[in-house]
Amino acid sequence: MIEFRNVVVVYPNGFKALKGINLHIHEGEFVAIIGPSGAGKSTLIRTINGLVRITEGDLIVEGKHVQKLKDRELRLLRRKIGMIFQSFNLVKRMSVLRNVLVGRLGYVPTLKSLLNLFPKEDVEFALSNLEKVGIRDKAYVRADQLSGGQQQRVAIARALTQQPDIMLADEPVASLDPPTAKVVMDYLKKFNEELKITTLVNLHDVDLAKTYAGRIVGIRAGEIVFDGRPEELTRDILIRIYGKWQES
Amino acid sequence: MNGWNKTRWLIITLLVVAVYWWAVMGIDFNLHRIIAGLPKGKVILERIFVKSLRYIGGPFFWEMVMEMLKTLAMAYFGTFIASVLTVPFAFLAAVNFSPYARFFKMFLNFIRTFPEILLAIIFVSMVGPGPFAGVLAIGFHSVGMLGKLYAEAVENIDMKPIEAITAAGGNFWQKLIFGVLPQVFPYFASYSIYRFEIAVRSASTVGLVGAGGIGVPLLLKVQGRNWEQVGVIIIVIIITVVIVDYLSAYIRKRIV
Repeated sequence: MIEFRNVVVVYPNGFKALKGINLHIHEGEFVAIIGPSGAGKSTLIRTINGLVRITEGDLIVEGKHVQKLKDRELRLLRRKIGMIFQSFNLVKRMSVLRNVLVGRLGYVPTLKSLLNLFPKEDVEFALSNLEKVGIRDKAYVRADQLSGGQQQRVAIARALTQQPDIMLADEPVASLDPPTAKVVMDYLKKFNEELKITTLVNLHDVDLAKTYAGRIVGIRAGEIVFDGRPEELTRDILIRIYGKWQES
Repeated sequence: MNGWNKTRWLIITLLVVAVYWWAVMGIDFNLHRIIAGLPKGKVILERIFVKSLRYIGGPFFWEMVMEMLKTLAMAYFGTFIASVLTVPFAFLAAVNFSPYARFFKMFLNFIRTFPEILLAIIFVSMVGPGPFAGVLAIGFHSVGMLGKLYAEAVENIDMKPIEAITAAGGNFWQKLIFGVLPQVFPYFASYSIYRFEIAVRSASTVGLVGAGGIGVPLLLKVQGRNWEQVGVIIIVIIITVVIVDYLSAYIRKRIV
C-alpha cells in the first residue's frame, strides 16, 4: 500500500532529513512513528501525500510513484489520503461544516466548490462525519469557538469526508491534555478498525504509541533504527532511538 | 564657560536668527497687516460660523445636504473601485505570494505619491469636469494606500490551514477561496471602510478643481465672498465627516 525504497529527502538548505528510508506499510495497519524532534518524522509522513517531494529513491502509494506525479494526479492521490495536524489547521473564521467540506474539494468541480454549491449528499456526508466524532451540534459554529480537542475532531471529520484509504497524523495530540488526547487517539483507532483506514501517526509520546499502534517505527537522524511490534520496544531500543532514556 | 564655547554659542545664535530673518522676509511677514486684518477676520469668522446658522434648515441648507450625499456617493464609488482593483495588487505585493513583491510595493508607493488634488486636475482634463473625474481621482489614489494595507494582511495570514487544504487535494483557486480569503477578507473590508472615511474628506475638496461634489459650490461661494453660505457648506461637511468617522470606527471594531 505504501512502500519507501531508499527514499532520501534533502531540503533546499542542504539539510538531509531522510537518509535512505526503506519501509513497507500494509493495508489496514496502525503504525506509530516515534523519534526525537528533528529526526524526520514530519518529513517522512509528508512525503506520502507529496507535501514534501522526495529527492532520491522511489515512493509508491496505492500503486503510484509519488515522485513522478503531475499536479493533477497528485491532487487525485491526495484526496484519498486524509491528514491531521498538531495545530489542527482549520480555517478559524469559517464554520465547522465548511471546514469539514474542505474534505470534498478534491471531488467537487472547482467552480461549484468556489460558489459553495456542494451536492446535498456531500453536505449530509460531512454532517454524518461530524456525528461520528460527536460534535454534529457544532456544525454551524465558527471553528475558533471550539476547544482544542473539538477542533481536532473537526479535523478528523474533515479527513473522513475525503473517504480516505490512508490517514496521516502529524503529532495529532501534542497540543492536547492527556484525557483529550485519549479521545482523539481512540477515534483514530476506531476509524482504523471500522473503516479499514491505514493509519500512520507521528507521536513523541512512547506510551501512547505502545497503547494504540500495532506496529512502531523508530527513526533517528533520518534513518529507521527500529521497526517492530510494541512489545519488542525494549529499553535498549529506546536508548538507540532517543540517545538516552529515562523511565517516566 | 570658556572663550571658545562662548564664541560657538554666539555663532549658533546668529545663524538661527539669520534663518528666521530669511524666512520672515521670504513670506513677506508683516505684523502690522495681521493687526490691521483682525477686525476683517472676525467679521468673516462670524459670518461663517454664527450668521450662517440662520440658514440651517433653509432651502440652501437642504440643497447642500443633497450635494453632500452626492459627495458621499463619489467617495463610496471611488473606494469601491479601488477595493476591487487592489485585490490582485495585494497578492502581487505580498512576499508570501509573489516573487516580485518588492517591485509591486514600489509601484504602489509611486501611485500614493500623487496628491489627490493633482490627480483630480489630470482627470478633469481627461474626462471633463464633474463627479466622474473625482471618482477616478479618489479610486486611483486609494489603490496606492489600500494596496499596501491589503498586502500586509495577506502577508500575515496563517499558512497552516492552506497546507491542510493542499493535503485534502484542493487546487490553487480552492486554496485561495477557502484558505486565504476568509483570513484576509475582514481586514480588506476594514481597510476599505477606513479608506472611505478619508475619501469623504477628499471628495469634499476635489470639487475645488472642478471634479464634482460639494467642493464645487464651496468654491463658488468662496469666490463670491458669500461667507454665510460658505459656513453652511463647512458645517454640513464637518457634521458628515464626524458621523462617517464614528460609523466607520464602530463597523471596523465589529468585523475584525
